[in-house]
Amino acid sequence: MAGITTHVLDTVNGKPGAGMRIEFSKRVGYGFVLQKTVYTNADGRTDQMILAPGETTIGEYELRFFVEDYFRGKGVQLPDPAFISVVPIRFSVFDPSQHYHVPMLCSPWNCTTYRGS
Amino acid sequence: MSSEQNKRRDFLATALAVGATGIVASGATSAQATPAPLGVTGPGRLTLHAIDTFLGVTGAGLQIDLNIQNGNSDQYRLVKTVYTVTGGRTAAPVLIGDEFRTGRYELVLHLDDYFAQRGADLPRPNFLSKVPLRFAVYDANQNFHVPVLFSPWGYSYYRGS
Repeated sequence: MAGITTHVLDTVNGKPGAGMRIEFSKRVGYGFVLQKTVYTNADGRTDQMILAPGETTIGEYELRFFVEDYFRGKGVQLPDPAFISVVPIRFSVFDPSQHYHVPMLCSPWNCTTYRGS
Repeated sequence: MSSEQNKRRDFLATALAVGATGIVASGATSAQATPAPLGVTGPGRLTLHAIDTFLGVTGAGLQIDLNIQNGNSDQYRLVKTVYTVTGGRTAAPVLIGDEFRTGRYELVLHLDDYFAQRGADLPRPNFLSKVPLRFAVYDANQNFHVPVLFSPWGYSYYRGS
């Protein structure tokens, strides 16, 4: 399988991060252009792939995770501005025939991402 | 327990108290503290620590750009460029004294250059190149230490101490 997928894990509650807003952009010149806004499902994934295999091309992409809104929505008390708010992850696709799975492990105090599978 | 830990514990206690009041007054999800004013100085400092989990060493010679958000816009502007030294830290705090102000910041790690200099055999373009770490300094009385563990294939950052 090729294409781009993500998975949000809430490391405060030890569960998938459901209902988190994610903005997906592609680099064009010096900036990123918004392609779509999606929300994670009950499993912390998106119902549709972020980008389908046939749509994925070589280039740099950005996933913006709305971590602060997610935790405030759960009633977590945070400073304002919160230490972690909207978290951009920028990564490149160098071979569109490969699958790019980009998980986000987060709490209000840390973020981890990596190339998953 | 350090004074820093005490401060953070006090903050947490305050936040919980504010939250409890909010629940009674208007429901849990609408309870929010008053936003901290941005641009306020204080006795704290911003420091960082870069750890290379690819080579298993501290990340020395890594270029990092510090940007600050312009008001509430989505635009960031360069404050300064720093380089890590032996040990993976910067020679001096990234921000201290009059420079250390509340605000929304971004540290941009030049991981592409770092691994290229070490001759790492990576795809082009590599999975990670210029990596932005965004966070806010909401209280200039506290120290903000931001460690980052990185490889060409992933990274993790957190509020350290």
